[in-house]
Amino acid sequence: MPGMLETASLLLLLVGAFFFFAGTVGLLRFPDVYSRLHALTKADNLGLGCILLGLAVQAESLGAALKLLLIWPLVLAASASVSFAIARRADALGIRPWRRQGD
Amino acid sequence: MTGFEMPIAVFLLINLIATLLRAARGPTAADRMLAALLFGTTGVGILVLMGAAGVAAALVDVALVLALLAAITGVAFARRAWIREGDDDARNA
Amino acid sequence: MISTIAGRGLLFALFWWVLAEGRLEGWGLGLVAIIAALAASLVLLPPRRSRFSSIGLLAFLGFFLLRSAQGGAQVAVLALRSGLVLRPTLLELPLTLPPGAPRTLMINALGLMPGTVAVRITDHRLQVHALDERMPIAAEARALERRIARLFGAPP
Repeated sequence: MPGMLETASLLLLLVGAFFFFAGTVGLLRFPDVYSRLHALTKADNLGLGCILLGLAVQAESLGAALKLLLIWPLVLAASASVSFAIARRADALGIRPWRRQGD
Repeated sequence: MTGFEMPIAVFLLINLIATLLRAARGPTAADRMLAALLFGTTGVGILVLMGAAGVAAALVDVALVLALLAAITGVAFARRAWIREGDDDARNA
Repeated sequence: MISTIAGRGLLFALFWWVLAEGRLEGWGLGLVAIIAALAASLVLLPPRRSRFSSIGLLAFLGFFLLRSAQGGAQVAVLALRSGLVLRPTLLELPLTLPPGAPRTLMINALGLMPGTVAVRITDHRLQVHALDERMPIAAEARALERRIARLFGAPP
């Protein structure tokens, strides 16, 4: 059923775009570099996963689908290690995490 | 092709520009390093969407190479940081 | 030794098949690439007896995929809710994993799991930035650590 595959693909692409949008909003709203890191790494990687899966279900061959899915673990490894590098750099620069005042 | 690949790619591009401007503004050096993350995820997303939209099939390979380089950069980055620390764990990492 | 070479060769052949999207015309070049990759892998990572467990790998992957999806969804909710509801904090956690690959995996995986990102690592302690101090961060980290230990065949 090609119609159903296309619907599933479109749905995944839209969900992926939503997570990218959430990551952007998080980056713009969160108070310090540590919390911005959370927003970017987690939301964007999930968004990319959804987009890759969405494109893979409508790929022309199994090989093409697997190639798309192969991108995800690479980007995951990249984001995870870069985000740790940024967090420790921030810590080494002496940046104190933002804390909620009052309560 | 669902016909939505290109609009979504443009949407991701708008996200990339907004986040890049925010990251470049800082205020700290660590904030500016966030730009390195953006190319890995959003950049790869835009490339695969454009590849699927029929701009050029080879864009998927470009995305794959970008992801591969980003992963190697990440590992090199982390290793360097660990070794710089000077503890014994670093050399085994 | 023989089984390591065969296993890695098969893995690289599979990679090539995926890169070529299943087409057959590039296999001459593919064979060269596979042999080169195999040679490089044997030099850089000589075969040795490892207790790497494939069941452990499946368990880890299942756990990690579920948790990282939760992490993404949770941070999306936090970002889009009206009013800033974060309660960030720094936590010190004990770290029992041996240095090297297990620790690297732990630190990287933490950055994609709900609410945590590793900030600093010393001999037996790990400092983590948590997005919300009300989340069960320490328990989550212990669960992750246990799965990584099983993956590398360490005694539990």
